[in-house]
Amino acid sequence: MIGEARIVKLDNLTLLVIMVGTILAMSIFLPERFLTVTNFQSMSSQFPEYGLFAMAIMLTMITGGIDLSVVSVANLSGVAGALVLASHVKAQAMGISPGTIIFLAILAALVVSLICGWFNGLLITAVGVPAIIATLGTNGLFMGIAIILTEGHGIRGFPEEFLFIGSGTILGIPMPLIIFIGVALLVSLMLKKSAQGFKMYMLGSSPLVTRFSGISNNRVIVKTYLMSGLLAGIAAIIIISRVNSMRPGYGYAYLLLAVLLAILGGTNPEGGRGGVLGLCMAIVILQVLQSGLNILSFSPFLKKFIWGLILILFMVVNYYQTNGWPMRNLVRGGVKTGAS
Amino acid sequence: MISKLFQRNETYLFFVIMAFSFFVTVMNPSFLTVENMFDLVKSSSGMAILAIAFFVGLLSRGIDISFPAIAIAGQYIAVNALIAMGVDSLPLAFLISCAVGTAMGAINAFFISSFRMQALIVTLGTSNIFHGALLVFVGTRAINTGKLPHCFKAFGHMNVLTLARPDGTLYGLSVFAVLLLFVIILTWFILNHTLLGKSIYAVGGNYESAKRAGFNIKRTLFFVYGYIGFLSGIMGVMHLSLIRYSNPNYIVDTELLRVIAAVVIGGARITGGSGTLTGTLLGVIMMVILEKNLVLIGLSSYWHQFFIGLVIVLGVSITYYQSKRQNRRNLLFTD
Repeated sequence: MIGEARIVKLDNLTLLVIMVGTILAMSIFLPERFLTVTNFQSMSSQFPEYGLFAMAIMLTMITGGIDLSVVSVANLSGVAGALVLASHVKAQAMGISPGTIIFLAILAALVVSLICGWFNGLLITAVGVPAIIATLGTNGLFMGIAIILTEGHGIRGFPEEFLFIGSGTILGIPMPLIIFIGVALLVSLMLKKSAQGFKMYMLGSSPLVTRFSGISNNRVIVKTYLMSGLLAGIAAIIIISRVNSMRPGYGYAYLLLAVLLAILGGTNPEGGRGGVLGLCMAIVILQVLQSGLNILSFSPFLKKFIWGLILILFMVVNYYQTNGWPMRNLVRGGVKTGAS
Repeated sequence: MISKLFQRNETYLFFVIMAFSFFVTVMNPSFLTVENMFDLVKSSSGMAILAIAFFVGLLSRGIDISFPAIAIAGQYIAVNALIAMGVDSLPLAFLISCAVGTAMGAINAFFISSFRMQALIVTLGTSNIFHGALLVFVGTRAINTGKLPHCFKAFGHMNVLTLARPDGTLYGLSVFAVLLLFVIILTWFILNHTLLGKSIYAVGGNYESAKRAGFNIKRTLFFVYGYIGFLSGIMGVMHLSLIRYSNPNYIVDTELLRVIAAVVIGGARITGGSGTLTGTLLGVIMMVILEKNLVLIGLSSYWHQFFIGLVIVLGVSITYYQSKRQNRRNLLFTD
């Protein structure tokens, strides 16, 4: 346990150094365009969407699985919410207030996302399909349902009040950021303080041990996928409100970004390790880099290339951090022989 | 013998295909004609080759999702090289495309074998690296039919067997079928008659045991991912010859899902070490005739994605539920 805690702290320290480094580099080299209130506002209204996806993937990775269907879940629940919202003109004629419609839309989106998460959990536990292939399948399934529901068209025409969630600000802080911080705190609390969180880490470390210590693995897994679905649903609400329409297929590129962030944030894809703090630092690093690349007007293809490269490099660094750097072993060996 | 046959996934799949073909033929008699069969072979042999590649990866317990990116990279680099050199040679195109593919596969293998990373995450990263690098360093402009070297068009039209319709016009079996047959035989031979094939099954079945049994795991993984890249390179040139157009921006996500769907309904398990080539090919046939006849069942094109997802989910559910029940009967805890 002590060793484990030390590793987590070490990971977070590395991330902290990189984060401060990137922010400093940006502030020094691009001060007039990076250090502006508008830039910070635009940055902090961009990342909550994929930050929530990354958090969902992180939760499932902690239990040793993965949820590749998050973007599709968000699309399907976004469509559900959008369909309710788009009926607001008709509903108002019937005497239903916009507030009720918005409430119903949010409820619809969240319920759909929970159903999707529950379905994923059921496939993994009751049927016994490995998470990676189960969610790859449901990824197509959920997106397919979203396409059928909309027949490939976008849904628009939402009530004005709803747009506040995605584009409004409170005291200059964008609403998406506030939602993200709230969710991040809750998830962090769940992971660190609740029994479910503890069981998730244990399950990720060794499912066989949790099974024989009387923990119902299946219940823990189903709850985890319910949560990851819910996070995708919250992301969906932010997305449809920010974009002011819903078109299935939105955010396909977010999947790579979300997996990248989860791993960058110190989550072990094999399970048992990961946390909200590391993830948030990874998000800040990536968003600052992204903003820098945007300011320098890099092509989206180059960004694609860079994200892929960062993902692989970080996995390599992670490997060496847990298994020891090859050069350090050489040096230590040399010192030993020299001393004797 | 017969009872053993009925325990196999492939047997059921075969009967389902038969029943469905019968149903389709009743609804639409033009389905079961030689011409239509030739057409299906031509349009789906590329997918079949990718499915074989993905299957080999699954056998070694690795999900390689970089093959669409590799195929498009091999194809686009080959075309550009041919145009730049002013050469009109199909073998050279195959050579370049396959070399690019094998090299990219080797990059995947390097990360997967040296750092014991999950193949899915590595290939998620590398597919972005390959595709991004292709667009940044090679080019973003599509090459249309007019600029395409002649050899590709000729290859796309080449037939190995020509038959005449009643009205005298000709149709034939595309040369793609020969290529596909070659890949099938090569893969079958490697998997069933070489030590390399056994080591692929061994690595997928149990990594530790394979290591202790003395298999060279690194070499096996380099072969597996190199071979996936090689097959993707072949498919890249085939696809180009078929549609006579090369667009590096072409997003191949749907192709990815279709291939995975075909392989998993063929009964191959991602937990490695199980599955047969026959099953994979039956899976491809099943997928192709289902897709071609979606409209016949009365589903519009919007249902396409849903349908592929459904096939994957149902396919894997059946395969894994069977093994789960079996494990429970044997009191095996594989968690």
